[in-house]
Formats: sequence, structure tokens, C-alpha cells
Amino acid sequence: MSESALGVELQGIRKSFYGQVANEDVDLDLRWGEVHALLGENGAGKSTLCSVLAGLYRPDAGRILVDGVEHHFASPRDALDARIGMVYQHFRLVDTFTVAENVVLGHPGTPAWMDRRQMESDVAALCERYGIQVDPAALVLDLSVGEQQRVEILKLLHRGVHVLVLDEPTAVLTPAEAEALFSALRGLREEGKTIVFVSHHLDEVLAIADRVTVMRKGRRVGQVAAADTDSDQLVRMMVGEQVVSPERLSGPASPGPVILGVKALEVQNDLRQVAVDALDLEVHAGEIVGIAGVAGNGQRELAEAIAGLRRPTGGSVVLNGRDATSLDVLARVRAGLGFVPEDRLTTGVASGLPIEDNLIMRSFGRAPISRGPFVSQRAVRQWTDELVERFDIRGVRRGLPMSLLSGGNVQRAILAREMAERPKLLLAAGPTRGLDVGATAAIHRLLLAMRDEGGGVLLISEDLEELELLADRIAVIYGGRIMGEQAAGSFDRDSIGRMMAGVRAEA
Amino acid sequence: MAPSRLRIPRLRLEPRGVPPIWLRLAFPVLALAGAGCAGAVLLLLTGFSPWTVYSAAGDAAFGTSLAWQRTLVSSTPLILTGLAAAVAFRMRIWNIGGEGQLYIGAIAASGVALAVADGLPSVIAIAVVLGAGALGGAVWAGLAAAPRARFGTDEVISTLMLNFIALFLMNYLIFGSEGFWRDKERLTYPTGRDIPESAVAPELWGRLHIGFLVAVAVAVGLWILLRSTRWGYTVRLVGDSTRAARYAGVRVPRRIASVLLLSGAAAGLAGAILIIGSLGSLEPRALAINLGYTGIIVAAVARLNPLAVVPVAVAVGGISSAGPALQTSGVPSELVLVLQGLALLVVAASELLMSNRIRFAPAAPAGAPSAAPAARR
Amino acid sequence: MNDSVVVLTLAGAIVAGTPLALAALGELLGQRSGVMNLGVEGMMLVGAVTAILGAEATGTPWLGLALGGAAGLCLALVHAVLAVSWRVNQVVSGLALVILGTGLSSYIGKLPDPPLGDRAPVERFEPVFSGGPADVPILGPILFGHDPIVYLSVLAAVGVSAFLYRARGGLALRAVGESPATADAAGISVTRTRYGYVLLGGLMAGMGGGYVTLALSGTWQDGITAGAGWIAFALVPFASWRPLRCLLAAWAFGALTNLNFTLQLLEVDVPSDLLSMLPFVMTIVVLIAVSARPRASRLLAAPAALSEPYVRETR
Repeated sequence: MSESALGVELQGIRKSFYGQVANEDVDLDLRWGEVHALLGENGAGKSTLCSVLAGLYRPDAGRILVDGVEHHFASPRDALDARIGMVYQHFRLVDTFTVAENVVLGHPGTPAWMDRRQMESDVAALCERYGIQVDPAALVLDLSVGEQQRVEILKLLHRGVHVLVLDEPTAVLTPAEAEALFSALRGLREEGKTIVFVSHHLDEVLAIADRVTVMRKGRRVGQVAAADTDSDQLVRMMVGEQVVSPERLSGPASPGPVILGVKALEVQNDLRQVAVDALDLEVHAGEIVGIAGVAGNGQRELAEAIAGLRRPTGGSVVLNGRDATSLDVLARVRAGLGFVPEDRLTTGVASGLPIEDNLIMRSFGRAPISRGPFVSQRAVRQWTDELVERFDIRGVRRGLPMSLLSGGNVQRAILAREMAERPKLLLAAGPTRGLDVGATAAIHRLLLAMRDEGGGVLLISEDLEELELLADRIAVIYGGRIMGEQAAGSFDRDSIGRMMAGVRAEA
Repeated sequence: MAPSRLRIPRLRLEPRGVPPIWLRLAFPVLALAGAGCAGAVLLLLTGFSPWTVYSAAGDAAFGTSLAWQRTLVSSTPLILTGLAAAVAFRMRIWNIGGEGQLYIGAIAASGVALAVADGLPSVIAIAVVLGAGALGGAVWAGLAAAPRARFGTDEVISTLMLNFIALFLMNYLIFGSEGFWRDKERLTYPTGRDIPESAVAPELWGRLHIGFLVAVAVAVGLWILLRSTRWGYTVRLVGDSTRAARYAGVRVPRRIASVLLLSGAAAGLAGAILIIGSLGSLEPRALAINLGYTGIIVAAVARLNPLAVVPVAVAVGGISSAGPALQTSGVPSELVLVLQGLALLVVAASELLMSNRIRFAPAAPAGAPSAAPAARR
Repeated sequence: MNDSVVVLTLAGAIVAGTPLALAALGELLGQRSGVMNLGVEGMMLVGAVTAILGAEATGTPWLGLALGGAAGLCLALVHAVLAVSWRVNQVVSGLALVILGTGLSSYIGKLPDPPLGDRAPVERFEPVFSGGPADVPILGPILFGHDPIVYLSVLAAVGVSAFLYRARGGLALRAVGESPATADAAGISVTRTRYGYVLLGGLMAGMGGGYVTLALSGTWQDGITAGAGWIAFALVPFASWRPLRCLLAAWAFGALTNLNFTLQLLEVDVPSDLLSMLPFVMTIVVLIAVSARPRASRLLAAPAALSEPYVRETR
């Protein structure tokens, strides 16, 4: 293994977007026949580097060498010609096409005139060879997420790629599905394929990778062999000098009365499938309740149902002692709900509008912001200045669209707006996702302050460490149901992990 | 990186928040000037002197007080169809049905005028007739708004189809039947029946009638509505992101429908004003002159700002009213259409420059010759 | 028997439907790639006037038709640059083409001395089969009585259909219109694909316009296409973006435009304006019916990325 021939090298890669540097002088070397993990926190520049490797982004500076020969990738096609292909976080599939059509799409070896049956049997043969199960004739829109990921991998194998880049492939998978993926990847490695595996989960990386390259803030921190390292070393490399405090950020909770009561809640997703299934949940005043789980297990639907954006098909939501099940969004806000949605830039703010329009999304219906049917420009300006100052939102100029603010400041603005209404319950979905360390800490402080002042917080997060740091109780969601719950002080990762995989907690 | 390679400076676009005020003010002027330049090239290519043609056109449009009256009269419906487009486009609802909404507005206005206006006091008659026109336009837009709000049916195609349905309906009323609207005395040359005197718009200045003031008032009203009211705020939200609007508690389908109805009402009002003003009867030949489509040009040049719609409509109306004068100097009057089309193209093309600023990026590393500007144009 | 009303109507429907089919197939290809071009009427008019000028100059309708197509392509190029490269709103850009094309065609028509409108008809396309099969009772005039372009348009529809669903290039085209990011990742150039089909659409619209002057009228007058471009545009959603349905619907709409004449002969009194309305009413009804059913609106509706500019590097 150690003597594998040198495969692909990236040297001195630099890439910036509108002045924001995503990669700075990054090196990466990949050997044929290895699983190479790219590890780093959210926003460390892993995805950007992968996109450069796969020809999607053109680097501002730096070189790409395959077998020692320099290549310039003007497009993914060039990368594919050099036998490098990528599975993106958001799948690149045409969902009105069949599996087989997706697999042959854009392949230079596809005959100019295609024979549907031939095409499907070719894809079936490919499935067989690599032990991947999916029906070649099925429409992609009828497939599960895990199956769609398999189609993505099939596409690359059909292209005959030697390097498969997988960007956070497990983010959408259950642990069982992830295990299946790992065994498939090991099989591919045996065939001599090189796999670039992007993750911010240490255990996954240690389980699958041969070597690990760690990134932080757009730069490469170092590279180690998986056999020669442990999670402590990797953590230090990921987060830098600053030592993560193993202590919980929050002190003991002093829970008060129930502020949010969810009973037998049933909610459907956009495809009218049951996404939240007879779910019960309570949040008391003065506590932070964390919801852990793999993405896509009903978190979004649960949050939207509590916020009034999605009509439940059964059950009830009681907010601050009042039945809120049939209240609309604004009425729930008046009843004491604050909501930080998971899609910051598309739901949390109107990103093309200036900050003042975004800061009044909750208050535009009342004095002093509005008088009669009119919105008072002066009151809006005052309100904006006040919130910007109080919540330390930076990089703001009046009239500047939200989309030009950094992620951390957008999130601060959203929290500022929600907290300004003095909510009794704050519902926060993935509030620190993709934020840097400083912004994350600021958000954490706000959530804790909310709790300490006697408010309730429902924190939905995929980041277990964050939940362990903040939550007084962690409830695990799987398949739209709560699998079990643990209180602060007795968090047990193993059993939380089992619950996330769908195994019920022992009573 | 190989230091021996050349470093090539390159252009790149950077998004900027709000264009500077001078650019916003100059934009319509620059757009029309750009169209004029392109038109001048066409004139030169086809053997005319742009200077002569443009000065003749300028005289015909703005040279005398009669010319001003004509220009303002022809700009009146353009203000309203321009507003119709501006209001809808702001919300990214592509109502290109101003044309048909205008016809239906004219049909409704003339119908009501013929039915009830006789004997009413002029103020009431005119108010009722204008109201009928606006209502007619709104109802016609509603035919596209309802399926859009209910099923998400694409409004570009539906409003476009409704234009033709309205056109043939109007033609049918005058040319294809001897119905209520038709002047039955004139059989050889079918025309509409004249509306009662009480519904005819009083004149302000020569040919210029009260309709112009109504149009300007609507422009100011819409400007205030969009800029300073809660309703306008929610429209802005929906226009930027329907998901954010839902999050803010806005009932999005309802808001979309109401904007389409308002847009239709403005276009319908344009039809009604033509009836009580320059036409005096339902006159398909004089109504079907692309006022709805030209309104879209006006809105685009005015960058969807209701106040800016007024001067832009006057300029475009001036170009239109100069058309016949061009004919006498030997230039085909269709030059007007060419200029309007060019103006729209220039505006469309320069929109990118309004929201981005051009920068010379720090020299590109020549080691990556394939590296193109970040924003691919 | 061959000059009975029914036979003449059906034969006439096919002829009247041919320019619609040509332009609509072109628009269909462009929309399948994700670009909506509202400017069909403008491209047809410019094609029509150029075609007749070209036919006069070269003495053959074939070259005239080719030049008409080229003129349509030039206008489409403007749309492609604006809509694909500069990511301008496609409604605005397409509408500009209509206005520009309408003005430009009339302008060009009036420049020569005497103006095009006052000239004798040019030589038109001749029927392919004179006598022989064309004289077969009933079917002769309907099937074999036409000029070569009619048969070419049938070939075009069959070809486009086969291409879309059977060819590698068709798969790529549909992918670009449904999910440009996917096509891009698969190594298909979204920009090149969209340019290609928008230009092809312009070529076909220009030829459709040329057919109006070179086969139907033989002369030029302002606005001669009389809304055919709009009908062609309506045909695309009416046919649910399917080429063969598009051809059949073009003939049906062609029949409607001819029906006035027929009904007059039969002395049936149906107002012509209400008949002219029908294609547009039918298109709206189909559009609403499709969008009202979720599954249908996924598989029969517009390409998912229609009218949306594609930018690769977004963050």
C-alpha cells in the first residue's frame, strides 16, 4: 500500500469567490488504490477543493497533475477525461430520466443512437460487477436517497473513472446505509480505484480512510496515515490551537412550566408521505432540548409544523399554554414563538432585499414599525440601527442586500430579529451549520442566554457535539418518531448513535 | 507556479448592492440614447441621415405645443400599461397580458358607458366608466391569476394566450357581429357606437384630457403603495423569495393573485381612458396597436419604478407620435418599432451592468489559461 | 371529387400548418434546452421578408428559404447572447425580438423601389408530384399534392422526435433543459447546447416565415405572418413539448385558420373571430389541465429549468 504509485497531485490551489478566499495554497496528493479522507469543519474549504479537483471550479492559482502530467480542467468533462469524477452533496441526477439514462448521459462511449434495452442491460451488468443494487429502468424520482447515491456512483464507474470524489456522502444516509456504502467503497479500492472521502466525522474517517488530509479555514493543515493517528490528534488539527473544552457550556437547568407541547403530531412531507409520525415532545421554560438525528428523518417537517409553515395531518401543538395547532405563522409569533429556519438564505431571509426589510419581517405588522397601512421609514431605520448595534451584526450598510453578508452575520441578523420579539420559545434548526468558530460561539451564547433568562429552546442539529455542549436533554428522531431521550450528564454517544440508526432505547 | 508566464489582467463582474443614484437616474436616458445610436447605424446603412431624421422626429414629438399635446395623449395609455407591467414584474410575475387586459378594459368601459352613462352627471359617469374598465382588466387578469394561484400554471403563456382571445373577442364585437357595441348605422365600415357625451373626458389643454392626470395619479399611488405600505412590503418579500415570504406569514398565492389583478386593473384602466378620451367608441383598429407590449418596454426602461414610468412613457409616447411625421421625410414609420425593440434590447443587456460592477481583476495567473472570470458571462 | 370541400380543407390545413410546424418545432427544441424565445413572430417576419428578397435576387425559392432561415437565425443569436450568456430575463429579451422583428421587416419591405408590397409575386415552390399520385381520388391532394417543404417538415418532426428520445444528443438536450447542473457535471456544455438549439430554433422560425411568403403568398405585405408566430409559440405547450404532437397540432391549428373559408363555402355561419380564438383557448385549457395534476405536471409540463439562466459557480 505504501508503495502505491503516485496518482493525482494538487499543488498550491487557490480559489476565491467575490473576494472571499475558500482555498489558499492547498496541496493534496492521492495514490492509486487508496481511500483518502478530506477532513475539516464546515466551511474549511473541503467542498471547494473537491470541485476544483473535479473540474467544476477553475482555480485562481495552482496546478493539477495526473500521473505527473499537468492538466487544466476547464469543465467537469476535462476532469472526467482524466478519469476523475465527483458525487456532489446535492445529487446531479435528472429525476425525470430512468437510472440507465442518467448513467449513460454525457458518456462519450454512448452510441449516437441508443437502444433502450441494450442500455439497461449494460447498466444492470455494471451493477452486478460492483455489487450495487438498483433497477436500471426505474425513474429517478421514484428512488430513495440511498438509491440515488448509488446511481451517482454507477455514473462514475460507467465512465471508468479512477478517482471518485465523494462530498459528504454519509450526510444523507442512516448509519446502516452508510455501512453499506463503506463496504462498497472498500470493494472499489480493491479494484484499484482511488476514493476521496469528504467528511467532518472523525469516526467515519478513521473507519474507512487509509490516509487523511486535514483542512482548516481554506488551508491544508497536514496529512497523516490513518493507522498512525487517533481522534485527539485529528481534532487538534481540525480546530487548531484553540483547545475544545470538554466541559459543557451550560450549567444545570432550572426548568419551569411547559412552553411547547407537541402531542401525537403527524406531518407529511412534500411528496405526501408521512414524515413526522405520532410524535410527542415537550420543552419547558428554562431548558434547551436538542433534537439529534440524521438529516431527512422528519426534522424539517417537525420544525415547519411547529412554526406554522406546514399543516399537520394530525395531533396538536400547544404553545405557551395555548392550542396553536391551527394558528397561522404570525399568530404563533405573537404567542411567543421565535424560529431560526434551516435554510438561512432562502427561508430565513429574503436575500435580495436589504437588511432593514429583513429585520422587520416579524415586526412590520405592529407599531411603531407600521402605522395604519403604512410602514414608517424612520421607525424602520431606528429599529435597524438598534438591532445591528445590540446584536453586533457586522458588514452592514443600509440598502445592502443580505446576500452580500457573511453567513455568520446573516445568522446574527435572523437571531436578532427573532429575539427582538422576546419569544418564550426559540426553535432553531441547524443554527451554526457552515459558520466559523467565532460566529458559532456567538450563536451558542445567545441560545444559552435565552435559556438562562427563562426561555425554552428547541435546538435541531445534526452536530452531536454541539448538542452535547448545549442541550439539557437530547431527544433522537428517526423516521419521524422520537426513539429515546437522554438528560445532560448521562449522554452516551453509543446509544444515541444506535437510536439515530433506528434502534429504540432500552427502557 | 511558473514565474516566466505572462500575467493577463482580466475583467470580472462583482455584484454590488444598490446601483449608485446617478446611475439609476441616468439609466433610462442612457438606454434610450443607446437605442438611438443603434437606430442611427441602421439609418446610415439604409441611406438616411440620422441627424435629419431625429431632428424631424424631435420636432414632431416635442417641437410645438400641439406636438406636446399629441405626445402626452399618446403617452397616457403607456403610463398605465407600463405600470401594469412594472407592478407585476417586480414580483417576478410575468404578466405579458397587458394587451388583452387593455382590450377588455376598453370593452367593459364602452359597454358600461353605452348602457348607463347617458343622463348621469359627468363626474359620476366618468368614474363609473373608468371603474368598469379597471374591473374588466382585473377580471381578465384573474383568468390567469386563478390557475396560477391554485395550480401554479405558468402565467407567461396564459396571459399571452388571453391577449389573443381578447383581441378576437373585440374584433367579433365590432367586425363579426352586430351587437351592442357596434354602430349599426355605418354598415360599410364597421365601427363602434359613440359613447354618451357625459362620459367623454373633459379636456385640459387642447387635445390633452383628464385621462393623463388619472394616469399620473395612479403612478404616484402605486409608488406609495409599493414603497411605503405593509402591502407593498409583503409584495417585495414575495418578489424576492416566496419561502421567506411564507416564513414572514404572507399568504403567497393570495398575494400573487392580488398583484396580477392590480396589474390587470391598471391595463384595463388604460383601455377605459382611451375610450373616454381620444377614441370615443370601441375602435379595434385604434386599440390594437401593441400598447400592452410597449408598456413592457416602458416598465423595463423605467427599471420597474412606478414614478420613472411617467417620464419614460412620455419619451416613448413621443417616439410613437413622431412616426407619421417620419413617413413624410421618406423614412418608413416602422423605424419607431425598430427603435422601441432596440431600446428594450439595450435595457435588457445593460441590466447586468446595473447590478454588477466591472473590475479589472488582479492579473490572472497565466499558469491557468483556462481560468475565466468568476462570473461567466 | 378532388375539389370537394372536405378534401380541399384537409389539404389546405396541412399547407397552412406547415409554417406553424416548422417554427414550433424550432421553438420546442430551444425550450427543451431551457430557453424560452417569445420572439417567434419577429423571427418569422424577418425570415419572410428576407426570403422574398432572396428569392427575387437569386431566382430560386430554395435559396430564398435558406436566406430567410439565416435571417431568423441572426435574430435568435441576439436572444441567445442575452438569455444564455448575459442571463437576461427571457421574457423581456424575446419580446424585444418580436417588436424589433416586426419593425425591421416592415422597414426593409419599404426600402426598395418600388416597395416589396407593390411587386408581382415571385416564383413559388411547386408541388412535388404533378399528376400521378396527386390525382388519386381523395387521398391524392391530401397526401401528394404538396410542395417539398411540407414533406420536409414532416421529416423534421419525425427526426426531432427520434432525436429527442433515441439519440445521445437528444438525451443531452433534455438533460440541459431539465437539470443543467447535472448535464454540466456529466460533461455536457450547457452554454453550447443552449446556443445551438436557440439558433436552430431561429433558423426554423425564419424558414417558417419564408414558407409563408414563398409558398403561400408569393408576395410581401407588412405583418404577413398574421400571428402565426404566436400560434407556433402556443403550439409548444399545447403539444406538451412533444414533437409529433406538435406536428399534428400544427395541422389542426392550420385547419382552424382555413376553416373560415370552408365554412363560408358550406354556408355555415360561424363568426370567424371566434374560430381564430380557438387555438389560444385550447392552449390555455391544456396548460391548466396539465398543471392541475401533479404527476402529469412533472412528466408532461415544461422542462424544469425553462427560462432559468444557468450559472455554474454559485455559492
